[in-house]
Amino acid sequence: MSPRSFEEVVLPHLDAAFNYARWLAGNAADAEDVVQDATVRALRFFSSLRGDARPWLLAIVRNTWYARLAQTVRTRPTEYTEMADTPDETLGPEALVIQQQTVDRVRKAVDQLPVDFREVVVLRELEGLSYKEIAAVVGIPIGTVMSRLARARERLLLEIRGTRVATGEAP
Amino acid sequence: MNCHEAERLLDAYVDGELGPDDMASIAEHLETCAECRRRLEEREALGRLVRALPYYEVSPDLRTKVAGTRQSLRRSRVAPRMTALAAAAVLVLAVGSIVSFRAWWTTRSTSALADQIARRHVSAMAGQHLVDVPSSDQHTVKPWFQGKLDFSPIVVDLAPAGFPLVGGRLDSIDGRSVAALVYTRRLHVINLFIWPTDAGVTTIDTRTIRGFHERHWVQGGMSIWAVSDVNDDDLNEFVLRFEGK
Repeated sequence: MSPRSFEEVVLPHLDAAFNYARWLAGNAADAEDVVQDATVRALRFFSSLRGDARPWLLAIVRNTWYARLAQTVRTRPTEYTEMADTPDETLGPEALVIQQQTVDRVRKAVDQLPVDFREVVVLRELEGLSYKEIAAVVGIPIGTVMSRLARARERLLLEIRGTRVATGEAP
Repeated sequence: MNCHEAERLLDAYVDGELGPDDMASIAEHLETCAECRRRLEEREALGRLVRALPYYEVSPDLRTKVAGTRQSLRRSRVAPRMTALAAAAVLVLAVGSIVSFRAWWTTRSTSALADQIARRHVSAMAGQHLVDVPSSDQHTVKPWFQGKLDFSPIVVDLAPAGFPLVGGRLDSIDGRSVAALVYTRRLHVINLFIWPTDAGVTTIDTRTIRGFHERHWVQGGMSIWAVSDVNDDDLNEFVLRFEGK
């Protein structure tokens, strides 16, 4: 059919699709549903793919998730799975605990961001997309990507700073 | 560059998204401004923390399911387009093989149909006759077809998604009376032709013909063709939204 098959082009980006869906939806079950739906749509639209498959697939995941959101009110709670330990070997045990707590706090802060902010943070930091690619996935101008990211980071910093002050840790 | 400008561009600087001039300006400013340096370090630290968050991976079950998607859809797939030569070869081999002939015939019929859809689109746009019932209300357009057609077409409201309905009209495809719905996207017109079918096609046929983009799918027992000069992405979004209803 076409020189690149659906499997060759799309399957390498399946983790990216799932990670994005997982951060959008807040739990694995909904994310799995979204990825399955999105895969069917991606297959149907495959002949219209031009260029890089990753932003194209992520845009389909996004549209699929928003379409579902419009139809059903899901009340599955956000899941906080056990995080894999990535200990920094140069830190002592106390510092390691503090580091882990900070990362947990950041994760909660990200989960609590409004979804518009959360998705640009995820696409930039976890997916490593450029502003141009993020603009293509989300369907907003590049300038809006920049301002949204800036505001998201401000909110995260505020959240983290605020918590740290409350627990009496040094800023 | 002052602090206000530097602050505005700081995130783009951290993300490596600035052009060389802006980068040089900010770097220069940072040399002399402790406050902006602090802001920069905060953002760099935040970036490291966020990048330490989980990158969720697909479970082996889901990966297997997804890899098998094409197989499960293939069972009801419409035959792929073939070149004339390939089609002729199939016809030759098809003596005594009805399945191949049907596939070839379906392909030719679909192409001819797609061509007709494009021509009806052009006619509707060129003539005075774009809509018989001018209304952006689906509750006005849908019942209008009663008594004029032997079926009731799917009509949906896509105005919130940026595809307002303009109205409907009766049209004719291959001698069959069909419903035509007219949607718009900014200044572009999308003509939607709808008639009943019992085909079990689950794919979305995508093509460009005479410069117009077309999509064809089956939904709710209806065969639906969308044709427009709007760009591919917008037309894909239209189909996604229409299907979602």
